Amino acid sequence: MPLIPRLASFWRNLFHKDQVEHEFTEELRTYVDMLTETKIRQGLTPGEARRNALVELGGVEQVHEKVREIRMGQFIETAWRDIRLGVRALLHSPVFSVVTVLSLALGIGANTAIFSVVNGLLLQPLPYPESERIVDVWHTPPQHSFPGLDKFSVSPANYLDWKAQSSSFEQIAIYSYTGFSLTTSNEPLPLIGAAVSSDFFSVLRTNAMQGRTFTPDDERPGQDNVVVISNGLWQRAFGANPNIIGQTLIINSRSFTVVGIMPAGFELPREAELWVPLAWDDKERQMRSIHDYLVIARLKQNVSLNQAQADMSTISSRLEQQYPEEDKGWGAVVVPLRDDLVGDIRLALLVLFCAVGFVLLIACANVANLMLARAANRQKEIAVRIALGAGRARLIRQLLTESVLLAVSGGVLGLLLAIWGSKMLVRLGDLPNLDDIGIDTWTLGFTLLVSFAAGIIIGIVPALQFTRTNLSDSLKQGSGRTGGSPMKQHTRKALVVSEVALSLVLLIGAGLMIRSFWKLQNVNPGFNTSNALTMSVALTPSRYSEPHQQLAFLDRAIEQIGAVPGVVSVGVTTTVPLAGGGSTQPFSIEGRPVGSIAEQPMAQTRYITPDYFKAIGIPLRQGRFFSDYDRDKSVPVVIISEAMARRFWPGENPIGKRLTPSFHVEQGAREVVGVVGDVKSSGLDIDSSAMMYLPYRQSPRPYLSFVVRTASNPESLVQPVSKAIYSIDKEQALTDVQTMDQVLTASLSGRRFNMTLLLTFAGVALILAAAGVYGVMNYTVTLRTRELGIRMALGAGRIDVWRLVLGQALTLTLIGVGAGLVSAYALTRLMASLLYGVTATDYLTFVSVSAVLIAVGLAASFLPARRAAKVNPTIALRTE
Amino acid sequence: MARKQVDLLQGTLHLLVLKSLALGPLHGLGVSSRIDQITKGTFKVKPGSLFPALHRMEEAGWLQSSWGESENNRRAKYYRLTAAGRRQLDTETQDWQRISLAIATALKAT
Repeated sequence: MPLIPRLASFWRNLFHKDQVEHEFTEELRTYVDMLTETKIRQGLTPGEARRNALVELGGVEQVHEKVREIRMGQFIETAWRDIRLGVRALLHSPVFSVVTVLSLALGIGANTAIFSVVNGLLLQPLPYPESERIVDVWHTPPQHSFPGLDKFSVSPANYLDWKAQSSSFEQIAIYSYTGFSLTTSNEPLPLIGAAVSSDFFSVLRTNAMQGRTFTPDDERPGQDNVVVISNGLWQRAFGANPNIIGQTLIINSRSFTVVGIMPAGFELPREAELWVPLAWDDKERQMRSIHDYLVIARLKQNVSLNQAQADMSTISSRLEQQYPEEDKGWGAVVVPLRDDLVGDIRLALLVLFCAVGFVLLIACANVANLMLARAANRQKEIAVRIALGAGRARLIRQLLTESVLLAVSGGVLGLLLAIWGSKMLVRLGDLPNLDDIGIDTWTLGFTLLVSFAAGIIIGIVPALQFTRTNLSDSLKQGSGRTGGSPMKQHTRKALVVSEVALSLVLLIGAGLMIRSFWKLQNVNPGFNTSNALTMSVALTPSRYSEPHQQLAFLDRAIEQIGAVPGVVSVGVTTTVPLAGGGSTQPFSIEGRPVGSIAEQPMAQTRYITPDYFKAIGIPLRQGRFFSDYDRDKSVPVVIISEAMARRFWPGENPIGKRLTPSFHVEQGAREVVGVVGDVKSSGLDIDSSAMMYLPYRQSPRPYLSFVVRTASNPESLVQPVSKAIYSIDKEQALTDVQTMDQVLTASLSGRRFNMTLLLTFAGVALILAAAGVYGVMNYTVTLRTRELGIRMALGAGRIDVWRLVLGQALTLTLIGVGAGLVSAYALTRLMASLLYGVTATDYLTFVSVSAVLIAVGLAASFLPARRAAKVNPTIALRTE
Repeated sequence: MARKQVDLLQGTLHLLVLKSLALGPLHGLGVSSRIDQITKGTFKVKPGSLFPALHRMEEAGWLQSSWGESENNRRAKYYRLTAAGRRQLDTETQDWQRISLAIATALKAT
């Protein structure tokens, strides 16, 4: 029976046993019935006829058992014989088997690891019921103020209008993503959490594991002192105490009653460990231009993303007309939740998945070459089998069984690698752990599939070629080497050429990433990252709601930190550059037309103390820094960045000009007193935009980020500086304690991860390709020993032999490089958005990587060439 | 029936089943009565050996089965020869002829 129907029948017998059994019972019953009828026709009474028929049948169960054995036996028997033969053949050449299994294990393991991540992040549903209907709703900001920005947080008043007017959502909820500080007996515990509207949990259709989530009653100011905690926090901070519900926690210096514990795995927003109700007062409900919130919603059944988008666009344009002052130019966009969670990672993951697939293909090509060489050595065995009557199909099946055995062993080993590898990936890549990335049934299935595919890929070429053998030729050749026929050599070379081509594509991809990374590392962030420490604190409203309280904390903190030995200077800002976040606000320039808020230009805004620039190392370009005299009663002042000066006062001196930040209209116009250097605030790869700095003392806020310049290694000051701050107030948790170098490193972590992985894969590919070239050249030299001997006998020098071998290697490599360049040219543009400062077809990378590969190809053929040059003509001619 | 019944040799049964199906599809009972008929009652194939043989031959790809209506409207499983089955019938027929000739010659020898 041909393989496919046979497999189908095996499948049926194994997994649809009941049906098969049932059919046979039926078949037997018909037989007895029909036999009975026949006997009745022959003149027996119905009773006798039936009895006779049953006697003739013999034991029903025995017949059944025999048939069962036959059905299962046939397949298993041959498969088992093939496997036994295969194992025996593989044990005969242990080195070959080990090398093959190991290289396939690497390839399959890497593929499985990456697949487990792809599967967890992109394929498996999010851990919320009917998660495909969950969407985020964002504002789209006016493009003249935020060029290139396509998503923006939402203001309370606009959200309330969306909620009232939209018809696409089953539920819609709003939340803010913030830090909390949980008071404990020791230092306060900084936690990430969210203040959420009561619908938040029903959008996600997730209930508390114990206790309850929020009701609309919890949203009323004054009744909002309840908290829901994550399963992780419950275990970590409260030792999984079952009586935690109803207990009181001090969070942000306020008392909250624990009302619920969420089930494990509930983690939205990312890394959130506690949720409190979002209780707006009337003033907050009317804020239309404070964009501080995130919106999440559940689409109604049968409402598509496009319909929801159309709905939201209509509402947005209505709001634009209704509130032109605040809403002009603000639209809305509906984005599937998953896209938001894995947005940046998707492309990188797919590129890595491709890369790792290439590595496996290269490994397969290498192994296929080994198999070819091995099959060549077994040609006589195969010929004998054919002569003895083995069918071609049977032989192919046996050879394929061997290669599949190899690949499946590699797969099993690879799976072990992948278990470890996927954990590494999640840790190194700082990936959102949506659904416990790891080895699940899907991943197992993938590994099995890949192993089988690899087994067939590596086995099919030798199997097809060597069973088409000309019998008499092979047998006649005795113990001599065969497999040297031109066709087989061509296959071998084609395999090597494709290895070279694939690894060139990988190397170019890795090269482009390295160039991007290198360029980024040489980007001047605009400040001095060495010997600087940063930490943040969000002052809790219950103690620090008044500006004078905030200022008092600030003054004492600066005093205490300044007294720590080793501290050179202390500055405070609201957001440290490159750490993420930061606020942006509209402003108007004196003497120029003042439009509505929506039409005003925007600038990033930081509130700083006078020493901030000195502490972080931002240079003064013009005018002066702030001084201690720039305080609440003095003239309102502002310092702007060079980019802001260039953009709004091109060719003019901005010093002395006046502007009004729209969130501080009551303080009137501010005088520009200084221009400072640009900083990369949102990322090294993002151009500096307009930035204005306001004196913290003129408009205090509850958010403080300290920047401490130190005389020596900043890490040694982490402890003393934290202590200094805790000595002021034990309940204000410090977050984001790190050196500025760490901030810079962390801002590149995603890129570093992608680059490292791609580089690793490319490195493996290069080694495999080198091994491939070496193998083929070595084999060629062996086959051509006689010819080389003749050439040398006829007067060819060693140089000529070198030239011959290296020339052939060069030809192979060049063809591979050519094919690789074409494919790379087509493929690298897909990863363009992962690059910085280089084009996807950067010729320098293309040329230098090709040169490397050609050099490696030549180096790999050095040993075979040397062996060829050492051929002794007399010996070479005598052998064979 | 005057003739004595003979036990079937392994292998002979296959040949007989193949032969009986050469004219067209039959169900289990049909196969055994066709064999009875073409061997003029020499061979009686009991279900205990018939069904294992049918299923083995189906697994080997010589036969194909499907459910159909019998002459008196009963649902029965019909077997038919596949191309491989036809080839097998040819080979086995030739083999058998060679063997029987050889044995006949051997028995005639003095």
